[in-house]
Amino acid sequence: MSGISTENYIEEAKRGISNPVLQRALAGLQDRFGRGTAEAYRRLPEGPDLRLKAHEIRETAIANLDVLLEILADKIRSNGGNVYFAETAQAAVDYCLAVARRNNVRRVVKGKSMVTEEISLNPALEAAGIEVVETDLGEYIVQLAAETPSHIIAPAVHKNRHEIADLFVRKLGIRRTTDPPELTQAARKALREKFLAADMGTSGVNMACAETGHITTVSNEGNIRMATTMPRVHVAFMGMERIVARLDEYEIILRLLCRGAAAQTMGTYASYIGGPRHVGESDGPDEFHLVIIDNGRSRILADPQFREMLYCIRCAACLNVCPVYAKIGGHAYGFAYSGPVGAVVTPLLTGINRAKDLFRGETLCGACMDACSMNIDLPRMLLALREKLAYGDPQWQVEPASRSEGLAYRGWSWFIRSRRAYELGLKLAAAGQRLLPRKNGMLRRLPPPLNGWTRSRDLHPLADETFIARWRRTRKS
Amino acid sequence: MTTPDQIEFVRRIRSALGHAPDIPRGVGHLFAAGPSTEDVRLLEAVRRRTAAERQALLEGLAAAARPINLNVTALPDSAYATTAIVRLVAAKTPEWGDAKQIAAWRHPLIDRLSLPEALDRLHVPVHVTAPIPTEADPGFDRIERERQRAGIIASFVGVTSADFCLADTATLVMRNRPGQPRSVALVPSIHIAVIHLDQILTDMKELFALLRWDEHCRPEGLSNYMSFISGPSKTADIEATMVHGAHGPREVHLFVITG
Repeated sequence: MSGISTENYIEEAKRGISNPVLQRALAGLQDRFGRGTAEAYRRLPEGPDLRLKAHEIRETAIANLDVLLEILADKIRSNGGNVYFAETAQAAVDYCLAVARRNNVRRVVKGKSMVTEEISLNPALEAAGIEVVETDLGEYIVQLAAETPSHIIAPAVHKNRHEIADLFVRKLGIRRTTDPPELTQAARKALREKFLAADMGTSGVNMACAETGHITTVSNEGNIRMATTMPRVHVAFMGMERIVARLDEYEIILRLLCRGAAAQTMGTYASYIGGPRHVGESDGPDEFHLVIIDNGRSRILADPQFREMLYCIRCAACLNVCPVYAKIGGHAYGFAYSGPVGAVVTPLLTGINRAKDLFRGETLCGACMDACSMNIDLPRMLLALREKLAYGDPQWQVEPASRSEGLAYRGWSWFIRSRRAYELGLKLAAAGQRLLPRKNGMLRRLPPPLNGWTRSRDLHPLADETFIARWRRTRKS
Repeated sequence: MTTPDQIEFVRRIRSALGHAPDIPRGVGHLFAAGPSTEDVRLLEAVRRRTAAERQALLEGLAAAARPINLNVTALPDSAYATTAIVRLVAAKTPEWGDAKQIAAWRHPLIDRLSLPEALDRLHVPVHVTAPIPTEADPGFDRIERERQRAGIIASFVGVTSADFCLADTATLVMRNRPGQPRSVALVPSIHIAVIHLDQILTDMKELFALLRWDEHCRPEGLSNYMSFISGPSKTADIEATMVHGAHGPREVHLFVITG
């Protein structure tokens, strides 16, 4: 992903809705994972309430983030690893480039990581003349097609087997096949060469544990294990919030991560990485670097209204139940993070005004919170963002979205509290609505400036008698 | 060894949390000085496990292994394991190239299988991954590692043991050490793991209690790279169709020696 395109939300959403391939894929995805995850939570020995416990664990970890990160850094350094604290995306990218230069890196294999999408690592490495290969099958497909991932866990969910077949014929020169096992085998073969020839592997971090001094990565494919085992150098990128204090706490987070992400009891591979290859060992990288990234997170941390967003472990369970994501797909969100998590975290990271359509587009139905493996109150934060947009907020540099809207609501507020004006208004409206076009007893169109309400739906006309008038009448009789 | 980037970074977090920037804060409340009553219960459960309970764990493991296509076979002794491995090597065809070679850990349990001798009959060479001599000069060290890496890449079967196996999720747990490279369980197309019945634990809770508090496990801790492996590599990235063998092994066979 290069850059931010949250401004194109409406346009991209329309494109998503009119794409039949995407609509089928999204329906299938939600049907499988949405229900599967809920069932997986129910089957936990502790039941779905384990999510409340996880929420507490994350709350404690975030409240002690300063000390936990320092303990992690000390342990990794004493185990032979390097730790760099990056305030900005640019600092993280520059550090990685410096490591690459020092080690004469020509080829990089990447394990799937959303934070490297956030900091736009790929374009920077490519600009430095380094070949970068995404190795998660979905990410690889998306990279070959020069697109961006549309789902955190299923990056290529928007492409069907025919599109992938055409892509592989063009890019890998294989004989055309639409058989998923054969297509997977073609990618396996191409990527095996890349893994064995790469000088550097990069990865994200699912969760770090301060007590043991390890980062962990989880995958089903084994690509992250390859990327962190075969090349000479491993650089791991971690959002600063991805840490818990103890191993027993980590155990709960890992179980919920696997269930939230793919309704699994355990991902195929979980790797606990504490440092580089030790003396006497034959494999593993010569150098291990952990890059801990702020990039706007400390501002979220400082605001008690949004601190809860840092409990998120990016499992993507909320995408798999969100009725809005189900229709518009991931590209509309215009940044590394899509769905309900994107609707909250993207505005906080990239600018609330700029990304306003993301949180205005969500329905506040609450499905995301029920699905959230960390039980994060996303609807509350969606509302808080809307409030910031309505009234403005100097701390977040938010301009009120529309002054005329504010005025209109103030007028409306006066209107509905003034009995006489309200009744007069209703009478006028009841008389006026006779002039409006109807179908099956419904109003088809309101006149401007209210026509937005009827652009995509019909309205019930006003009743002949108001409720209060009727109540007065029937009580008397 | 605190770097300037770290000092600034941590100071920013402290101020965001409303703490004084330069006063160190206690961490005692975040960590445990000793095992909790739950930890003690878990450690006791592992220590006092009866033969019948071990058998039940094996059955639980086999049940958890089925849906993830991990093949679990119980064998009475290591001679059976040797036979089973020879049979697999004879029956399977290599994925990349024609020559059959295999890689195997230097590990007491695997050494006992005498795989080089057993596979000699099939003319299948075995790359045994001996620890890299620590006193060797750096040049020799590199050559030796390159040689081992080439052997593992050329192998279509990798034979390892494991530290533990978690019955609940059919998860092999391996800690990195000299002579037991993780790539043997990763790069070859078929992974064979051989463990003993008493290495089966119930779940992650037991494992973590051992790693944190057991006097034998605690010194090594998680090592610098601990792996959880639950079945063969898989992906569902093309139209949600499950395919085994995305990058890691396409097949995983677990032999549990019960004798």
